[in-house]
Amino acid sequence: MRILTLIRQVLDAQEGVHIAKNAVELNGRKLVIDTMDEYGVEEALRLREHGLQAEVIAVAIGSARVEEALRTALAMGADRAIHVETDVALDAIALSSVIAQIAQAEKAELIFCGGQQSDWDSQALGAATAERLNWPQATWTRALELSGSLLSGRHDTEDGVESFEVQLPAVITTQQGLNEPRYPTLPNIMKAKRKQIRKDPLDAYAIEPKLQTKGVAFQTRQRLRKILDGKDAFTAASQLVDSLRNEARVIQ
Amino acid sequence: MSTAVSSFIAKRTAGGSFLIEDLLPGDVFTPEDFTEEQKQIAQTTSQFADEQVLSSISEIEAKNYDVTRRLMRQAGELGLMSVDVPEEYGGLELDKVTSTLITDRISVSGSFSVTYSAHVGIGMLPLVWYGTPQQKQKYIAKLASGEWIAAYALSESSAGSDAMNIRTRATLSPDGRHYILNGEKMWISNAGMASLFTVFAKIDGEKFTAFLIEAGTPGLTVGKEEHKLGIRGSSTCPLILVDCHVPVENVLGEIGKGHQIAFNILNVGRFKLGAAAVGGSRNSLRDGIRYAKERIAFGKPITSFGLVQEKIAESAAGIYAGEAVVYRVIGAIDAALSSVDKSSPEYSKQVQKCIEEFAVECSILKFWGSEMAERVVDQTLQLHGGYGYVEEYPAERAYRDSRINKIFEGTNEINRLITTGWMIKRAMQGRLALMPAVKKVMDEVMSGPGERVAFEGPLADERALLANAKKLGLFCAGAASQKFGMELGDQQEVMGMLADLLAEVLVLDSVILRTEKMRGRSALAVKLAKYYAARSFRIVESAAERVIGTVAEGDMLRTQMAIFRRLTKHEPINTVSIGREIAATMVEAGRYTINGSAA
Repeated sequence: MRILTLIRQVLDAQEGVHIAKNAVELNGRKLVIDTMDEYGVEEALRLREHGLQAEVIAVAIGSARVEEALRTALAMGADRAIHVETDVALDAIALSSVIAQIAQAEKAELIFCGGQQSDWDSQALGAATAERLNWPQATWTRALELSGSLLSGRHDTEDGVESFEVQLPAVITTQQGLNEPRYPTLPNIMKAKRKQIRKDPLDAYAIEPKLQTKGVAFQTRQRLRKILDGKDAFTAASQLVDSLRNEARVIQ
Repeated sequence: MSTAVSSFIAKRTAGGSFLIEDLLPGDVFTPEDFTEEQKQIAQTTSQFADEQVLSSISEIEAKNYDVTRRLMRQAGELGLMSVDVPEEYGGLELDKVTSTLITDRISVSGSFSVTYSAHVGIGMLPLVWYGTPQQKQKYIAKLASGEWIAAYALSESSAGSDAMNIRTRATLSPDGRHYILNGEKMWISNAGMASLFTVFAKIDGEKFTAFLIEAGTPGLTVGKEEHKLGIRGSSTCPLILVDCHVPVENVLGEIGKGHQIAFNILNVGRFKLGAAAVGGSRNSLRDGIRYAKERIAFGKPITSFGLVQEKIAESAAGIYAGEAVVYRVIGAIDAALSSVDKSSPEYSKQVQKCIEEFAVECSILKFWGSEMAERVVDQTLQLHGGYGYVEEYPAERAYRDSRINKIFEGTNEINRLITTGWMIKRAMQGRLALMPAVKKVMDEVMSGPGERVAFEGPLADERALLANAKKLGLFCAGAASQKFGMELGDQQEVMGMLADLLAEVLVLDSVILRTEKMRGRSALAVKLAKYYAARSFRIVESAAERVIGTVAEGDMLRTQMAIFRRLTKHEPINTVSIGREIAATMVEAGRYTINGSAA
């Protein structure tokens, strides 16, 4: 069986967010595998370690730097990687087309995808990919077990837990709590050096983004930093009431 | 040779040659030369350190050794203890840059870092280098996995820096099957959790020899834990040997040649300490910046104040310089090791020779690194104000933990004496063309002002400072030798001043080469280099002036001071504006960085 695990690369949570030229500055910043995608890699590796005969393929679409994230997936234990290299920013619907094409070409039966992208909070990629392939999807999974081609597991809902079973092929999205991703060990890092990363141009997939981001900006909260002279408590209190009523408009 | 993870191999150089040779940026290894694999290894190590070690810090500090053992096993599983272990014993046998990188990144807790370093360094390396195949078969896998922890027992209550003075004795048992050891060892790192000890004793009170002793061997007792100023979560105990029977097959290396083990291992310990100091400083500065960003005083974050920014800039420049010099030296060692034949029966000996070649550099990394780190942890504590003085914040722990670095692996005093002493020794042996270089500089400066050499590039002024620092180093060495001749070694203060000169030449040289190798990719790196150079030259000036004041008087003193003034003449840079710019980038990043959009 072939398992695809989707890899997205995001700004490390420790990094400060900085905007340059209408986009979040990534140059010189530390980028990492999106944690939820990392759960997918880990889960694929665990299925294999529990006896499943499977080839685990890490797939990423993005700039040259995304290779770092794929190398991490390989160092964790994925067998090989496919990198669709492009500097074009693709929306989830466009991305899902690329992934569906790869899934079909590779005859994959299981796709792991992070439940939510940590940078822009998008949750669409898993669902869109399932739709393209006409596969079932199980989202926000927290526990998984495979017997034959029947995958069972559970996922959390707001008020409880739901158990499910699904016949492969299927798309599975992950969330925190599914597993604890391993650190790449030194022997695996050295082995990964010899693993293949196939480079595909975006042209090979004949897609175009339907959505374009035109700009980003921080939501800023400005403080007035107004200090009232407190020498005369009565005057200060009436000034405060006045400010709250007429400037901040929080009281009538 | 071991498996090179580095793809760039530095130019082969002779130890100590930094004072007399000018290298090109392309000749040295720098942190910018790390390969993808090395970056990943650094990443795994940092994740382990930040997520596992730091999250257990209170248990570690409380000497909960079960927690430390668990972390050591985890480090073993990740392969962090197999880097210097030969492949035939299940190790990875990677180059020294890679093993140094791990030491650097794992150093977020002084206590754990000491446990780890003592284990993989003085704990395991004697066995790796001198063990018989049987000894290695028996012990290495257990040590590399972290299942067993190793300790090294050399020091005694009255034998520290003078290690040859040990009193522990060994005598062969009448049946010839055991050595019987008696004596007491002191300050033994990891003693309270170790399963295997490398113990030094003199057979019949004469033949200095190493023994491998398993914990639990009758007659071996681990004494009470010392109550230490810092690294409280590491174990330090005395060992008491009373008629301890050690099987003869557990003699490590040759009888009577234990001093080779004892001394060669020190060079590794020293360069690794330099790397640990850099890693510890990076972590401490991150704590300092995090706090300073959040601390509001007079209505503003304190990072907006100049004297706070100055502390951040000084620390960052020290770390930048530390990275430059550590990886330059280790890169040079790897270059030397790259031609050693692994299949040779003399392999281990050759490896040690290659490292010993750089004994001067190793000593500099040790004393310079520990003193740089001491300034950084002090600045971090100061950034915290009163909160730096209480245990709730990590600044206090880092400050206490850093102090030991100036004491162990040879005190900084011993390492300064080694630095200058080995340079002289190498010159006397004809292995370093120091004498002609001294003569050339003496002739040149005595003959009056020469032509000014013009340097180019953004660091042209710093290159001029470095060239003059090298001349001052040679001049002072020459003047001191003229005055004291063979007795120079007894003038410890002058030896110390010369060591400071040598250290600054090596560090500044490394800083400039590293920065130039980046070819302007980082404007921040250029600022860090300039900032460090300004500090470095102040130390050079001060040391040179003190040497001259000691060795000359009267007319000679006036002549030498005229030379001194000529060689130290320079226009100062604006350290305030550069310092503010450096600090702004570090604050924005929330940690030490050499990339920054603000730069």
